[in-house]
Amino acid sequence: MSLLKLCVPGDRLCGAEDCIPGTGTYLRHGYIFASLAGYVLRKNEGEELPIISVVKETEAQLLPDVGAIVTCKVTSINPRFAKVHVLYVGSTPLKDNFRGTIRKEDVRATEKDKVEMYKSFRPGDIVLAKVISLGDVQSNYLLTTAENELGVVVAHNEAGIQMIPISWCEMQCPHTHVKEFRKVAPVQSEYLQA
Amino acid sequence: MPVDTRRVRAPEESQCPLLFVPLLPRGPLRTVAQPEKARVDGRQRSQVDVRPVFARCGLVTQAKGSAYMEAGKTKVLCAVYGPRESERKDDTDMKAGRLVCDFRYAPFSCPKRGTWIQGSEERDAAQALQEALRPGLCLHRYPRAQVEVNVLVLEHDGSVLAHAVTCASMALVDAGVEMYDLVLGCALRQDGDSYLLDPTLAEESGGHATQPEDNQGGVTVALLPSLGQVSGLHADGELRDESVSAAVRACMEGCHRLYPVVRRALVYAARRKAAPPGDSLET
Repeated sequence: MSLLKLCVPGDRLCGAEDCIPGTGTYLRHGYIFASLAGYVLRKNEGEELPIISVVKETEAQLLPDVGAIVTCKVTSINPRFAKVHVLYVGSTPLKDNFRGTIRKEDVRATEKDKVEMYKSFRPGDIVLAKVISLGDVQSNYLLTTAENELGVVVAHNEAGIQMIPISWCEMQCPHTHVKEFRKVAPVQSEYLQA
Repeated sequence: MPVDTRRVRAPEESQCPLLFVPLLPRGPLRTVAQPEKARVDGRQRSQVDVRPVFARCGLVTQAKGSAYMEAGKTKVLCAVYGPRESERKDDTDMKAGRLVCDFRYAPFSCPKRGTWIQGSEERDAAQALQEALRPGLCLHRYPRAQVEVNVLVLEHDGSVLAHAVTCASMALVDAGVEMYDLVLGCALRQDGDSYLLDPTLAEESGGHATQPEDNQGGVTVALLPSLGQVSGLHADGELRDESVSAAVRACMEGCHRLYPVVRRALVYAARRKAAPPGDSLET
C-alpha cells in the first residue's frame, strides 16, 4: 500500500522554492536533500509552501540544547554546585547519560548569595531545570533552576519515603511530618500522568 | 625479571616458521605477471568490474545502528553507537560533534592469524576511515556529543578499507545519524598499464616482489555519490600521474556501481523498521 516514498541520505527531494525544509533534510545549492533514511512527508501548515521532512520510526536523537527544559537526577552535591544526570529533554527520554552541573548562583533568582546547596538539593532528587549553556572545554552542561516552575519535583527523605512539597522551599514527610529544605518546583499539571 | 631455571629455555635465536612458507598461494601472482589474461575470479582487467556485493543493515542489536557487507570473500561488520556524551573534552571545537572510528581485523580474518591488539595498520585504517566519513556527516547537529563507529573485518580478501567505508556509512544511516550523503568506497590496484578494480588480497599484494616494474600501486577512493564529491583518497605505491587520475575516475565509477545495492539495502531496512506513517499525510 506504501505510496509514501522512501529516501536515503543524499536524495534530492525538491527545489527550495517548492517546499520548506523540515526535520531530516538540508538545503544546498537551492535544492532540498534528505539527511535521514525514512519516509518523505509533505505537510501543509497554513503557509504557502508545504513543509517537507523525512521521518524515521525512532524519534530523532534529541540532545540537550540551550533553553531546553530537562529532567535530571542529582548525583552529588557540594557547597558550590550540584552534579546531575540529564534523563529527559522535554518529554523525550535520552538513550545515554549526559552529565550537567547546577551552580550555586543558578539555583534561584533572588538572594543568590544566601543559597545553600544542602538546603536546595540532595542526591537522588529529580529536578526540573533549564539548559543555560553547553559548557566549555572543562565543564559539562550548565543548568539553572532560577525560575518559579523549576526545581525539585520528586524527593525522598532518609527513610526513603517520598515527601510532599509544602512551600517553595520546604518538603514534608507524610509519616513523620519532618520538614526538609528543597528548592521546590510546583508540579505543572500538564506534566502529571495518572 | 627472574628467570625460571628449571624450565628448558628456548634457543637464543629463533625464526618464525611462517618465514619458510610462502605467505600466499603462488597461483594468483602468475596472473599479475600475465597482463593479457583475465583475473582469477573471471573478472576483466582494466574494466569497472566489481565483485558482487551483499549488504544488510541491523545485525548488531545492542548498537544504535549496524551493517554487514560482503564483497566476494571480504566480510565487514560495522556498529554505530551514539550520539552520546563526548569522552574527551580537550577538543577545541565544542560546537560540532566528534566522530570516533575504530577499525579492527578479527584474529582469524587474515591468512596469518593476528591478535586482538590494534596494530599500526589498523590505526591508520581507522584514521583514513574517519577522514573519509566526516565530510558526509552533519556533525554540527550534535554539539558536545560523539558518534562511535566500530568496524570489524571478519575476512580480509582485499579492498578492506573501501568496503569498511561503505559499510560504516550504511551503519550510520541505520543509526539515524544525519548525513549529507552516503559515503561509498572503492579500491583499485594499478598493475603496469592495466588496472584491477576491487582487488582481492592476492591481487593487492601480488606483483610487488615478483615484478619490480614501475606503475605499481593501490588507490582507494571514498565518494559522496549524490553530491559527486570525493571525500577520501588514499594511494600508495609508485604511480604515473595520468594513471592516478584514471584510477580515481575508475574508482568513482565503481562507487556508482555500488550505489543501487547499498540504496536498496537501506530502503529495505527503513521499511522493515517502520510502517509508513499513518493517515492525514499525503505522498
